[in-house]
Amino acid sequence: MDALQSSAEQALALMRQQGFEHAQVSVSCTHRHEVCVAHNEASLLRSTQSNKLRLTGLLDGRRADIEGGELDPQSLQALVQALWVSAAAAPQDAANAVSSAQRAEVTRGPQQADTGMLADAMRELLDWRARHTPSVMLEEALAGHTHVQACTLTSGGSALRCALGWYDAGAFGMAREGTQSSSFNFGGGNADSLAGEPIVVRFGLEDMLRALTRSVHTEPIGERCTGAVVLTPRAVGDLLGWLFGQLGDQTLINGSSVYRHSLGQAVASPLITLASRFDAPGVSPFSSDAFALAPVTLLDRGVLRCFALSLYGSRKTGLAHVPVEAQGWEIAAGTTPLAALVGGVPRGALVDRLSMGRPAANGDFSGVIKNSFAIRGGEVGHALSETMIAGNVAQMLRDVSAVSAERIDMGSVQLPWLRVEGLHFS
Amino acid sequence: MTTPASHELETREHELRKTRMLMVDGNLTVNLRTVERGISARAYVDGYWGFGSEPLTDAAAGRERVQRQALANARSMSSFGARSPRPLPAVRHVGRQQYQGRTPLTSAECNERLAELHAWCKGRYPAVRSTRFLIGDEHHAKALVTSLGGDSLARIDRAACVFTLVGEDRAGAPIEVDEWISGRGTLADIDWSLETLAPLLERAHEHLQAKRDAVTARGGLQTVVLAAPLAGMLAHEAMGHPCEADAVIGGAITASLVGQPVASELVSMVDFAHTYDGQPTLIPVQVDDEGTPGRDVVMIERGVLSGFMHSRETAARLGQAPTGNARAYNPHDEPLVRMRNTAILPGTSTLQEMIAGVDDGYLLLKTGNGQADSTTEFTFGVTLAYEIRGGKLGRAVRNTTLSGSAIKVLKTVDAVGDTMHWECGGYCGKKQPMVVSMGGPALRARAHLGGQ
Repeated sequence: MDALQSSAEQALALMRQQGFEHAQVSVSCTHRHEVCVAHNEASLLRSTQSNKLRLTGLLDGRRADIEGGELDPQSLQALVQALWVSAAAAPQDAANAVSSAQRAEVTRGPQQADTGMLADAMRELLDWRARHTPSVMLEEALAGHTHVQACTLTSGGSALRCALGWYDAGAFGMAREGTQSSSFNFGGGNADSLAGEPIVVRFGLEDMLRALTRSVHTEPIGERCTGAVVLTPRAVGDLLGWLFGQLGDQTLINGSSVYRHSLGQAVASPLITLASRFDAPGVSPFSSDAFALAPVTLLDRGVLRCFALSLYGSRKTGLAHVPVEAQGWEIAAGTTPLAALVGGVPRGALVDRLSMGRPAANGDFSGVIKNSFAIRGGEVGHALSETMIAGNVAQMLRDVSAVSAERIDMGSVQLPWLRVEGLHFS
Repeated sequence: MTTPASHELETREHELRKTRMLMVDGNLTVNLRTVERGISARAYVDGYWGFGSEPLTDAAAGRERVQRQALANARSMSSFGARSPRPLPAVRHVGRQQYQGRTPLTSAECNERLAELHAWCKGRYPAVRSTRFLIGDEHHAKALVTSLGGDSLARIDRAACVFTLVGEDRAGAPIEVDEWISGRGTLADIDWSLETLAPLLERAHEHLQAKRDAVTARGGLQTVVLAAPLAGMLAHEAMGHPCEADAVIGGAITASLVGQPVASELVSMVDFAHTYDGQPTLIPVQVDDEGTPGRDVVMIERGVLSGFMHSRETAARLGQAPTGNARAYNPHDEPLVRMRNTAILPGTSTLQEMIAGVDDGYLLLKTGNGQADSTTEFTFGVTLAYEIRGGKLGRAVRNTTLSGSAIKVLKTVDAVGDTMHWECGGYCGKKQPMVVSMGGPALRARAHLGGQ
């Protein structure tokens, strides 16, 4: 860490010497180890080390960024000079700025990789698959450990240091019987340790693998209809991706966000509370524009409490700046048991994956539901094929009628199942 | 020819440089240049792989360290049990790939052109709510040495410019139209001058006006004319991924269909290594990241499934020849089976003839992104489309989704366009991102559209 701090200080001094009025320097060193499975067999142990130096320079309101991987004085000098050329050519923009007076040091998670634990995790997964879901082909699976040391300094006096370690695991595969295959599916997440319980009981992997074996033989949903969907936590993640796009810099700066006038208003069902978990495994405690992240509630019982703007976006739009990052969020658990959530659907589908293009700028979408099952009379039935749903994402958030008491903790997100009414099936 | 492969080693020095600039309404919100250099080694020992990488500083010492790491990692995998090493095809390539483009544009030149484009749009389209111009280029240089005697330098250089016009429909909801330009080389080698973009901007603005009154597509099975960019996406997503040999081994439905019809006889599909029609492809792969010389893979020949894309390992498993499709994206990535320049080959119909032959259907012009499945079922977002009624274009259609089984859809193809369109602006995702190109002519087929 001392070497990173020294490199950051050296880079900041060079930028001041070059003439930058404001500057931000971030230096990081990342080590990763992963044990990989390919086609139901252990395949690869991979160990990587990468360095990243990112410089942000402001000159008379003009801004540029540059990244390199070499920390020696000559390389630093060359990067600073290249940055100077880029910044000098950029247009002026009074919204450009760097953070001030942010100070924090965070050490979190396992700092050393236990490659034996990674191998054990994959061995357990392969054994479990062979015993319980032999028709599943794990095309890829991995268990990994990442360790990141990072230091960020700004000319405004911010100094942020962290040493983060975390484990992760994931699986991607399908089930096959004879010449027929299920759709593929995938899942995974981050954790402070992979020991203690098999990874198959983490991240919803067991449900996913068992569901694959029931998805080889599929049927269409039948005639067109309107009904409800129960979204699994993985599918709920897709809704959040769209929501963050609507609350971020680009759509708010250009005025196309459907929520641009919605601060303090209900934009989702009162059953939805979306709050940060910036202390979760694998989640950075700092924003990329050098702010220490404090806990924040984005949606409080459906009411939009803040936007997800960067410092630049905030200065550009005049909207309040609340530092956030895309990772590290949870939807509060509801009070409805999952079984009751499904039991309350007269007609609809249990949806694990939405395959579609990006929703339109206004939230309209249509997509094929994958790894999904029909629900009739509150009972989960056959796997679905070639079934499409259409709706509007913003409306779906408002139409959530139940939130499960159960959640899946995937590390960077923790999400429940949601029941949403009024989707069109075809 | 194969080798016993009890101990193989490949070492790669890889430099990746990128430029990315985004101007939103005259504000330069992204102005980033990156360079990453790394050295990696991959070892194959007794049937297991090991990989190690680090930043490229001292090449000689680094080479020794990553090779030692890769060998140690491969050996440690024996804790999973002894296995009979699978002999890998013995291939090697010696050569240096060169690319000589124009002198790269300076930051100042890029900024001047972005500002000019923004000012032109602001003056000409005052009712447009927002304009975005994203430009970028990306350059890979990979020096590879293998224990089989391979010694090569491979280069990928590509550039792209995409603009987006944002407006409002009659109800005040946001609508968008975008356009891509991409090609080999740097931002100096593709033409994104105002002179060239002005007619494209005019056309995009006309589409944006049409989308203000867009109607919802009728959901269900429809006759569709896919413009060339969508055919390229269909080739890549819907049939390309299921023809990657690791997906085939993983259970993709294509495994049991070799030699069988999977498309209309009008359809042939190829993953080109480095040359198409006597010219270099947009992503020319002379040699892949395992040292295998690139060769074309014919996946569908006149409607019949005929071959798969391979790494050395998948080729060994399926008893076929490696094809040069093992590619790694960044300096710290191991090679995976990836596409290169995947295309449906042109036919004889004009786009006008194809539209004129549709009594009731849709012309699909642009796609946002797509996904495919091991079953060959695919889904594409369609961001620009028009009705076809009585052989003529009608109203614009709101954003919709095209889906179906690629095999079923390709079997319904009854016309293939005579004009190829290639592009290389986006990324393919599969554990790692990858730069690829896609090509195709327009197609007429039957497929499902999302709607009500």
